[in-house]
Amino acid sequence: MTTKYEVVFCVVNSGFSETVMESARSAGARGGTILTATGTANPQSEKFFGITVKPNKEIVMILVDANIKENVLHNLYRDVGLNTAGQGIAFTLPVNDVAGLTPVEQQQEQQEQAQQEQQTTEQTQEEPRQSDDASDTDKD
Amino acid sequence: MATKNKTSKHSPSATPKKHANKTAQKKSLAPYKLMLLVTVIPRSKADFFLDLLQTFEVNMQLELSAFGTATKVFGLFDSDREKQALFSVIREDNVPNALSALEEKFATLRGGKGIAFTVPFSSMVGVLAYQFLSNKQ
Repeated sequence: MTTKYEVVFCVVNSGFSETVMESARSAGARGGTILTATGTANPQSEKFFGITVKPNKEIVMILVDANIKENVLHNLYRDVGLNTAGQGIAFTLPVNDVAGLTPVEQQQEQQEQAQQEQQTTEQTQEEPRQSDDASDTDKD
Repeated sequence: MATKNKTSKHSPSATPKKHANKTAQKKSLAPYKLMLLVTVIPRSKADFFLDLLQTFEVNMQLELSAFGTATKVFGLFDSDREKQALFSVIREDNVPNALSALEEKFATLRGGKGIAFTVPFSSMVGVLAYQFLSNKQ
């Protein structure tokens, strides 16, 4: 099943939500929502991995187009991943229906869709032409 | 060896039937799909939207205080960034009505602009909890 939108959840240490948004915006995300949370971790695993889990967390929830999901995740891993000070974990969930997107965003999406449709129609038109040309050369 | 003998006793046609019965039982246990409806709205309008969503057979809602991420370039005050995130468990057949009602309120309510989306449940445990969340006996 392919969905048009996905929601990205990024759990980071407190104070890194701006970094998350900058990182996500650079991949094409528009806006997000910050939730405050408290993290817990297994003390034994903390010792094993040699990390300390700060309890104060921020969860950044970003609704993104499914096409840019990979880029957003990649950027988040690079900028606020577990190896960075943000110690972030990012994951996505599929979204079925959306309400409340601004008309500007909807227009942009419609334009993008129209462009994609045009490209596909052009490609389908070009393919038969090429095949016709090839058949002509064969005849000659 | 013992396990081999046990499996050899079953005829090949018996296992698919059993499997079909099990899946039928599972289907009948949870016929209604559940969704998590996430609604992000200005903090001052949270109570209004909580009441609105309750009219769509939503029995459980969680309310979290949140902040929008719009930058100060847009000339927003801190109070404008204050949001409330509502997590509501809703039955799938009520989703279209709920979303259209939300969309209408987002458009018409002054200072009530928000966003809402649904995430499907993949599984849950507890028949009573399921009945409570789906509002079906």
